[in-house]
Amino acid sequence: MNDLILPLYKNGFLSSEANFFFALIMGITFGFALERTGFTRSKHIAGTFYFTNMAVPKIMGTTVITAATWFVIFSWFGWIDISQLFTPATYIWPYVVGGLMFGAGMVMAGYCPGTAVAGVGTGKTDALVFLLGVVVGMFVYFVIYPSISHFANSSNMGVLKLQDLFGGNEYTSYILTVILETGIILFMMLLHKLSKTGKTA
Amino acid sequence: MNDEENEIVKCKKYWNPYVGGIVLGTLLFLTFAIAAQGFGASGTFARATAQFLVDQDKSWLSNAYIANYFKHSDSALTNWTVIETFGILIGGFISAVLAGRFVFSPDKAASYSLTGRYFWAFTGGMVVAVASRLARGCTSGQGLDGMATFSVGAWIFMFATFAGALLLSPLFKKQWVEQNQPRHEATVEEATHE
Repeated sequence: MNDLILPLYKNGFLSSEANFFFALIMGITFGFALERTGFTRSKHIAGTFYFTNMAVPKIMGTTVITAATWFVIFSWFGWIDISQLFTPATYIWPYVVGGLMFGAGMVMAGYCPGTAVAGVGTGKTDALVFLLGVVVGMFVYFVIYPSISHFANSSNMGVLKLQDLFGGNEYTSYILTVILETGIILFMMLLHKLSKTGKTA
Repeated sequence: MNDEENEIVKCKKYWNPYVGGIVLGTLLFLTFAIAAQGFGASGTFARATAQFLVDQDKSWLSNAYIANYFKHSDSALTNWTVIETFGILIGGFISAVLAGRFVFSPDKAASYSLTGRYFWAFTGGMVVAVASRLARGCTSGQGLDGMATFSVGAWIFMFATFAGALLLSPLFKKQWVEQNQPRHEATVEEATHE
């Protein structure tokens, strides 16, 4: 009964041209939503690391829970093939080092690449300067790549899902994801409260 | 009256963060449902830089990382994420104009110097770029997309990102947190977001 199975592009219901058209449309909606939630403000994003602005963890947590909920519902009814969705492979040590560096760069700049692009659209001049830095950084990476390629491609676990590590299936991974994201939001709200009482005292 | 207060008077309020998350999460799902991949951004700048270098001098193709972008196409820019990134720019612009928030200005604590702000925006951009190549993506392409599809790597990346930011946060406090009226600032942030 179900001829149509998502994702559309992987299952041949969409030409490359149509897929590129939707890339533009989805990008526009993403940029719009980033602006509406205040994600185009470096001060809001950096505020996360001083517990002065809790919007970022709340939005990110809710975003992940919402998307995962749709995946699980659609998968339950057999409308989507989750295994076809692109997930980057897990490279343990490059992700640890890359993550630490990424965080360091974010507290300096207050942006990540996606929020900076939307930020430029809203006229944020620091977002434009950030993106110039990104281009130069990419150049630096290409130049140093031959000497770090061994490390960059080390500890490759392939596509590694939560259920591969903790057992169970995609539904138990979903429950774990909801618990983790909810826990993070509550923990950040607690730190936010504590930092405020700290200021009054 | 400071900028933040002005903003509340003249502009639309930002969305409630939970409502924003439900909207973003639904968009992320739709993107996966259509294209089999999620949102991304850092790859666009890697590809644009690679294309620029190859346009200047073909010998850059001998670089293994750059060559990878030309494996499937003559142009590194014929790519889903590149087109989507243009959309993000347009979407941010449309939203800001409609909300009365489009203005050429940097974002920083009022007392922080403009030169300092631009210096750290640029330096941070360089660091983020290198980090995004090691991590095969940024907070969108690796973080959001990966967490939503239950990837272990995305969680490693996000926890490491948060740790890296917290470790260096004391050094950059003056750039982000208002020095004079911290309590007032907190109240305004609450008002804009909750």
